[in-house]
Amino acid sequence: MENKYCLTFKKEGYAIFTSHLDMQRLFKRAFKRAGIEIAYSHGYNPHPLMSFVQPLSLGYSSVCEMLEFRTKESYIPEFIAAELAGVMPEGIVVTECVRLEDGKKTLASRCCAAVYEIVIPLGDAVSEKAGSIDLGSFLAQDEIIVTKRNKKKKLVETDIKEKIQSLEASFVDNNLILTTKLDAGSDSNLSPELLLKAFLPFFGIGTDRSEIEISRVELICK
Amino acid sequence: MITNNMIDKKKLDAMLKRVVKPARYIGNETNLIVKDNAKVRFAFAFPDMYEIGMSYVGLQILYDVINSVDDVACERVFAPDTDMEELMRAEGMPLFSLETKREIASFDLLGFTLQYEMSFTNILNMLDLAGLPLAAADRGDDMPVVMAGGPCAYNPEPLAKFFDFFIIGDGELIQPELCRIYRDMKDASPDGRVSKSEYIAEVSKLRGIYVPSYYDVEYNEDGTVKSYTPNREGVPERVTRSLIDDLEDIPYPKKPMVPIINVVHDRAVVETFRGCTRGCRFCQAGMIYRPVRERSPEKIYELAKSQLDASGHDELSLLSLSTSDYSKFEELAVSLMEDCRQREVALSLPSLRLDSFSFRVLDEIQGYRKSGLTFAPEAGSQRLRDVINKNITEENIYSSLSQAMDLGWNRVKLYFMMGLPQETYEDLEGIAEIAKNIMDMSREKRAGKGRFSVSVSVSNFVPKPHTPFQWEPQDTRQSFVEKHNFLSDKLHIRGVQFNYHDSPVSYLEAVVARGDRKTADLIEQAWKNGCKFDSWSESFNYEGWEKAFEQTGIDGAFYANRRRSYDEVLPWDVIDSGITKEFLMRENEKAKAASTTPDCRHGCQGCGINKLTECKLGGIYGK
Ligand code: SF4
Repeated sequence: MENKYCLTFKKEGYAIFTSHLDMQRLFKRAFKRAGIEIAYSHGYNPHPLMSFVQPLSLGYSSVCEMLEFRTKESYIPEFIAAELAGVMPEGIVVTECVRLEDGKKTLASRCCAAVYEIVIPLGDAVSEKAGSIDLGSFLAQDEIIVTKRNKKKKLVETDIKEKIQSLEASFVDNNLILTTKLDAGSDSNLSPELLLKAFLPFFGIGTDRSEIEISRVELICK
Repeated sequence: MITNNMIDKKKLDAMLKRVVKPARYIGNETNLIVKDNAKVRFAFAFPDMYEIGMSYVGLQILYDVINSVDDVACERVFAPDTDMEELMRAEGMPLFSLETKREIASFDLLGFTLQYEMSFTNILNMLDLAGLPLAAADRGDDMPVVMAGGPCAYNPEPLAKFFDFFIIGDGELIQPELCRIYRDMKDASPDGRVSKSEYIAEVSKLRGIYVPSYYDVEYNEDGTVKSYTPNREGVPERVTRSLIDDLEDIPYPKKPMVPIINVVHDRAVVETFRGCTRGCRFCQAGMIYRPVRERSPEKIYELAKSQLDASGHDELSLLSLSTSDYSKFEELAVSLMEDCRQREVALSLPSLRLDSFSFRVLDEIQGYRKSGLTFAPEAGSQRLRDVINKNITEENIYSSLSQAMDLGWNRVKLYFMMGLPQETYEDLEGIAEIAKNIMDMSREKRAGKGRFSVSVSVSNFVPKPHTPFQWEPQDTRQSFVEKHNFLSDKLHIRGVQFNYHDSPVSYLEAVVARGDRKTADLIEQAWKNGCKFDSWSESFNYEGWEKAFEQTGIDGAFYANRRRSYDEVLPWDVIDSGITKEFLMRENEKAKAASTTPDCRHGCQGCGINKLTECKLGGIYGK
């Protein structure tokens, strides 16, 4: 048996300011504290066989993070979940652990979409905006072009339209709430940051990025 | 108005999205302690970046002991990085604690640790960010009592004006006591307020507490100190350091906080012993932490185990001034190696004396991935090493390196100091010679086995208070430049890398380390000129300091480059480290004669500390 598991957990409160790299170290230590032995790769530079299905950006909360890992010996998944839950720092909330079938492709390679909830405070502008935000006109554009930095750090233009699988809006209090399903994974990926880059100017919304809250609500794997 | 003194968390959230490494400010570490209902709050302030402060074991120790006091909470605060500071100032957010996000100004007690002089401007910056007046005299009863401890408190005078009192010496027993006294006074007070002056008067009775305002200082016309006079009843002429006789049962953190972001030292650490018997004459730590006090091997295993269990760290390190001087070092190393192997934890043993046993240990714990070896001869000739009483010979170095090369090491780092008392150009040449001899040896020994590299790091000597060199002048900047040019010329050797940062920092350190109360103005002015994070080369702002010298009229050379006579009253004479002035003078005289003093494990050398406590290791080699 490969002793493969998937742990799901929430990231909330101040824990959202823990970066992806720091999350890896945090889990490595948490497993040690919990006394659960993670399996290591072989070779010159062994590393723990443990990976997040889809990295979460710094500052995002989530109710659906997934960690895939392998252990040296077999554990009851509920035991892993309970032991880990007891040693996590505040804001990392373990929800479930399940055993994964042997031989299947990794969850990371099967991940294809993610659903985000984006809360945009509009303040007093809310009543005026509420009538004027017509998602149809945004999505009906032939293309939705944004600039981003590519891997070589050069600014390039890219069309994100095809990567937006769905987009809905609602208003609660003074906030505009977007719920959107975006491509996620190694084949095609769209960061909510890029969506906002196109969305905010299109509707003339001037809210500062630091006031906007983004939460991942679902990760979808094939 | 009812206020709980919490900062605006919504505002903080938005700020955290805009700064680098927001995890520095969230206080979400594993094993952190949050006491919502404490009666007394103590803020432990580290005047530098989070990553530096969280690597400092003393913080973990004091955090643990203070939090163990009923109804007292210890919370942390570090110097915010410049991006965060800008936002805080722009948004009017005051300095806050990580644990409960309370305004620092609302704490009962605020304690800074003084680890190095170049963090002093950060202290002023933090007080200012907290919205507190800098001078102790300007802070009222509604503001925290501000104290400081740590090695730099052994000359508290340059900071005297800013603090209500200083804690001199070992902190584990006195820190919680200071909190208990405050708590009891608060409990007894009908309105829950504690009068600062009454509190200070109360704690000043404890050994190790120095209250600067209890002493009047007079100066001679030439600017030297004339006298220190206690200005109230019952104040001692000199303040004797607090000293813990035995560390064995003194609390040590069993559940260390585990930082979220990478810090400088990210590992479990057990302090094996405090103090050092070697007596290097330049070394302040070797004097002020005397005598050597060891924990038993059993205690060390127990602490290592609980630290690793509770932290999940994958590295364990030992803390002391020289790892291999632990009296049962071999036994300890062998057991820890075994334990660590079983737990898949890396063991790191800093500052080992490189003998054949250490090589076996290092070979085993480092395996294929050998880190560089380090040696600190400190001086380039035997004569100068005798002057500073650094007990290491060239023979030691070469024979160790020969073994190391056989075992497969391919690099070595050598540490030296420049500007030591009585240094000549011949001594500097000696540095280059050692490097060259090592390279020659490596060519012979490692022919065909790949390259060997030597790195030579040279730092400028800074004379420190409470050492035999406390009377000595520091080299002038001009002389440092000349010596550096000379040395870098000599060190053009293939395979040898020369690291030297010719920076005026060491000069400022020399000014501040042996400063008096007048130097407070210099520090304050430098801070006003925008100086902070002075120990970070990217933010070091010498113009700000130069200007401060001009503005205050303080002559840096008076503090840095002047030889003091033995009968001069030194500003730090008011602090009694337990090491007698007679001993320091004797050692300085011996230095002038290049005569060495043996490690006092061979026999007591009469430093004076045994008048305060028992030296368990004194003379053990002779027994
Ligand atoms: S009193 Fe003697 S034995 Fe004790 S530390 Fe000093 S020199 Fe060493």
